[in-house]
Amino acid sequence: MKEFNSLEDILDFAINEEQMAADFYTALAAKMDHQEMKDTFEQYALEEIGHRAKLESIKNGKEYKVSEEKVADLKIGDYLVDVDTEKTNITYQEALTIAMKKEKAAFKLYNDLAAAASDEVSRDMFLMLAQEEAKHKLRFEVEYDNNILTEN
Amino acid sequence: MNKIVEKENFSEKVVKLVVEAPLIAKARKPGNFVIVRVGEKGERIPLTIAGADIKKGTITMIVQKMGVSSKKLCALEVGDCVTDLVGPLGKPTEIHNVGTVLCCGGGVGVAPLLPIVEGYKKAGNKVITVLAARNKDLLILEDEMRKHSDEVIIMTDDGSYGNKGLITEGMEEVIQREKINECITIGPAIMMKFCSLLTKKYEIPTMASLNSIMVDGTGMCGACRVTVDGKTKFTCVDGPEFDAHKIDFDEMMSRLGGYKSEEQDKMDHFQE
Amino acid sequence: MERSEEYIKNERKKEWRVELQKKTKAKDRMAIERVEMSEQDPNERIKSQRIEVNNGLTKEQAVKEAMRCMDCVNPTCMEGCPVSINIPKFIKNIERGEFGKAASVLKETSALPAVCGRVCPQEVQCEQKCFYVEKLNQPSVAIGHLERFAADWERESGEIAVPDCAESNGVKVAVIGSGPSGLSFAGDMAKLGYDVTVFEALHEIGGVLKYGIPEFRLPNAVVDVEIDNLRNMGVKFITNFIVGQTASLEDLKEDGYKAFYVGSGAGLPRFMNIPGENANGILSSNEYLTRVNLMGADAEDSDTPVLRGKNVVVVGGGNTAMDSVRTAKRLGAENAMIVYRRSEEEMPARVEEVHHAKQEGVEFLTLTNPIEYIADENGRVKQVKVQKMELGEPDASGRRRPIPMEGSEYTIDATVVVVAVGVSPNPLIPNSVDGLEVSKWGTIEVVKDKMQSSIPEVFAGGDIVRGGATVILAMGDGRKAAANMDVYLKEKYLSQKVEQ
Repeated sequence: MKEFNSLEDILDFAINEEQMAADFYTALAAKMDHQEMKDTFEQYALEEIGHRAKLESIKNGKEYKVSEEKVADLKIGDYLVDVDTEKTNITYQEALTIAMKKEKAAFKLYNDLAAAASDEVSRDMFLMLAQEEAKHKLRFEVEYDNNILTEN
Repeated sequence: MNKIVEKENFSEKVVKLVVEAPLIAKARKPGNFVIVRVGEKGERIPLTIAGADIKKGTITMIVQKMGVSSKKLCALEVGDCVTDLVGPLGKPTEIHNVGTVLCCGGGVGVAPLLPIVEGYKKAGNKVITVLAARNKDLLILEDEMRKHSDEVIIMTDDGSYGNKGLITEGMEEVIQREKINECITIGPAIMMKFCSLLTKKYEIPTMASLNSIMVDGTGMCGACRVTVDGKTKFTCVDGPEFDAHKIDFDEMMSRLGGYKSEEQDKMDHFQE
Repeated sequence: MERSEEYIKNERKKEWRVELQKKTKAKDRMAIERVEMSEQDPNERIKSQRIEVNNGLTKEQAVKEAMRCMDCVNPTCMEGCPVSINIPKFIKNIERGEFGKAASVLKETSALPAVCGRVCPQEVQCEQKCFYVEKLNQPSVAIGHLERFAADWERESGEIAVPDCAESNGVKVAVIGSGPSGLSFAGDMAKLGYDVTVFEALHEIGGVLKYGIPEFRLPNAVVDVEIDNLRNMGVKFITNFIVGQTASLEDLKEDGYKAFYVGSGAGLPRFMNIPGENANGILSSNEYLTRVNLMGADAEDSDTPVLRGKNVVVVGGGNTAMDSVRTAKRLGAENAMIVYRRSEEEMPARVEEVHHAKQEGVEFLTLTNPIEYIADENGRVKQVKVQKMELGEPDASGRRRPIPMEGSEYTIDATVVVVAVGVSPNPLIPNSVDGLEVSKWGTIEVVKDKMQSSIPEVFAGGDIVRGGATVILAMGDGRKAAANMDVYLKEKYLSQKVEQ
C-alpha cells in the first residue's frame, strides 16, 4: 500500500485522484457518438473538478471534519455488471453505472487507507475523504433509483 | 402486399424466392435483413437478403426449411403474397478498401454473404471466398460468387464437389499462403465459432453475422440478446454483425435453442 | 379547438341541461351510492387471455350513476383530463338516455374513448378532481366507467358516428408510430382537414395498445373499431414501414409530406444488468407480452411459441409487470410471482391492477430484489437469487429508498423470468434524423406545450418525449401537437393567420 508521510501527502494524492477521474470522464466525453452523452460526461468531469477544488481549499487551510452523519449506501451499483468504457455509444443508464462503480471504488480505497492508517489524524482525513466519495456515489444512486428503476 | 415473382428450388430443403418490395430493394445495403410473416396466425421471423433489383423493385431471399414458419414460406408459389415483410433491418456491413478480404459462408449463410462479397469487390478489395456445404447438391450461389470474387474455394463434407473437408481447412490454406486483412463469416453458429477461433489464432480482424431469435427486429423485444466482449447487445439493432473474436458463441448457440421444445410442439401440431 | 370557459358555460345553459338540473335535487343525487362495476369470477377469467375482467355497466347502472353528477358550474373534473373531454356534457347525455350523443361528445376531443374508458388511471385524473372527492370527501362519480359505457354502447349499437371533418386542405402530414399518441394526433389533424398518413413498423396498428396491453384489460377488437373510425375520417395507415430504415424522413419530404409527428414510443426494454440475465427463459416484458398479445401465442393455432412454466417470476411493480404476471397465470403458471424492490405502497401500478392480480392468485414478494440468475446445465434459468430490502430513512426528497439487507439472500425456483422494470425511448428516429435535439435519456427535446422539436416541421409526443407515461398523457401530447402544427402549417403553407 502507498506510504503517506503527511496530511499534505494524503491530500495531494486525493486531489490527483479527482483530477484523474475528471480526465477519465473528459476522455469518455470526447469519444461519444452523441452530443447529449458528451454533455453528460463533461458534466461528470466538472463535478470531479469541483471535488478537487474542495480538497484544494482544505489543503490551503480550510477546516474539515468527519461528521457523524452516516451516508446511505443504496448498493445499487454493487450488483450491476461492468460497463464497457471502450464503446462510443454509452447510454445514460450505463453512464450512471460507470459513475456509481467509480465512486464506490474510491470510497473503498479511502476506507481501506483509513483502516491501515498509523495515526488518528490521517485516519480521520481518510474517513472524511471516504465520506465525500460516499456522498458523490449517493448522488448517482439516487438518480439511478429515480429514473432507471422507475418500475422496480 | 409483397408478391412472389420468382421461385426456384435449390434443393429439397432450400428455396430461392424473389419478392416484390420496392422500398426495401432501394434502401437495403449489404448486411441488412428483413422480418417476414406468413398467414394471419404466422410468426415473425428474421431472414437475410441475398440480393435486390432496384429497377424491378424486388429482393431475393434464400430460405431453408427449418421450422413451421420457414416451411410455410417455402410452400408459397409464384403469384402468392407474403403476408408481411418489413425492412431493411440491422446495421449494414462496414465495407472499406482494406486489401485482401476472406469471405466465408456455410449453408444458407452463403446467401447474405453474396451482397457483402459484391460490396467488398466494388470497394476495390481482393476477395477470396470460401464456401462450404455438406455436399454438392446443397451448395448455393456458386456462379454468382465467382462473378464477384477473385477466387472461390469450395469445401464439402463428403468431397462430392471441390475439396473434401471443413471450411476452416480451406481458410487456413489461404491464410498461410497470403496476407489476409479482414475476414467475414456467415453460416451455422458452430461454423462461425470455429472460423473465429482460426482467425483469432492468426490475428485477422473478423466479423460474424448472427441469426438470433427475434420477434419485432427493431430493438423492442430483446430476444436476440448476445454477449459481445462481456456486454449484452441486441443483434437486431446493434448487429447483426459483430467482432467474431468477442462473441460468446456458446451462449449464442444456447439462446438459439431457447424455444426449442415449444417450437417442436408447433412443428408436431403443423404436421398433424 | 381548445374549448373556452365561456363555451362550456353556455353549453351548460342549454335547455336540456337546465331541465335535467331542475329535475333531480342535489340532495337526491348525493344520496346515490357510487356504482360498482361487476367483474368476471377470477377463477373463470384466468382460464383465457381473452376474457375481459371488467364487465362494463348496464344501461340502468349507467343512467343512475350519471345522475350522481352535479353538473357543476365549474367542472373541475375537466382540469384533470389531459384531452379536455367535456365531462359533464357527456355524462348528462347519459342521464337523459342519449347514449349516442354522449359518445359523440367523447369523440370531440378523444380519438380513443373506449380505450381510455378501460385503461386510463381516472382515479388520479378526472375522478380525483370530482366535486364529490374535493368537497364532500366521498367517492367520485365513476367517470371512467361512464366513458367506457358510452363508447361501448355506440360500438355495440352499430351506429357509429364519424366526427365532422373540415374540408380537405391538401397538406400532407406523416405520423410515425400508431400508438395512442399518434392516433390521437391523427384524429385531430383529420378533423382539421389535413391529409394524414400513419406509418407503423409492426404489422398491426395500435402500438402498445396491441402489443403491450393484454386483451383481458383491452380487447383488440375494441381498439380496431376506434382505428376504423379514424379510417372513416380519412386517415391512411401504412404498416411494415420503419421511418428511418424503410425510407428516411428526407424521402418522405420528397414525397410531399410537410410536417411530421413522432410518436414512436418507448419501445426499448430495460434489463437489470445483473449476472446471468442472458440465460434462456429470462425475457423482457415486451417480448413476453408481444408474443401473447400481438402474435396470439397463447392460442394453439398460432405459429409463435411462448414460454410456459410452473413457477414464473415477474420483476417490477408497474402496470406492465401486472400485465405480465397475470398473463403468466393465464398461461398456466401455478406460482406467478411479482418480485419488487420497494414496498407495495410505492408500486407504480394502478391499485385496480394490483387488486385484480391478487384476486387471481398472484403472489407479491415486495422489498425483494433479484441480484443474480442461476441456470441449469442447458443454459435455462432455474433459480433467481434475491435479496431482501428495507426502506431507509427518508432522504432530502422525502423518499424512503430501498437498501439491501446484508445476508438476506435466498433463491426462488423459476423457469420463466419476465423482466418488467421499465422501458427506454425508441432510438430509431433520434438516431436517423440529423439535427434533432435529444436528451441524455434518449427522449426528443420539444418546446413544452407546443411539442415542436429542434426541427420546426418535426413535432413529437408520448413516450418518445416523456420516457414512460400513460396512454392518456400520450394522447394529450398528440392533441397539443396537432393544435400547434396546425398553426405552423397554416401560416407556412396556407397563408392563414390562426387565432390561438
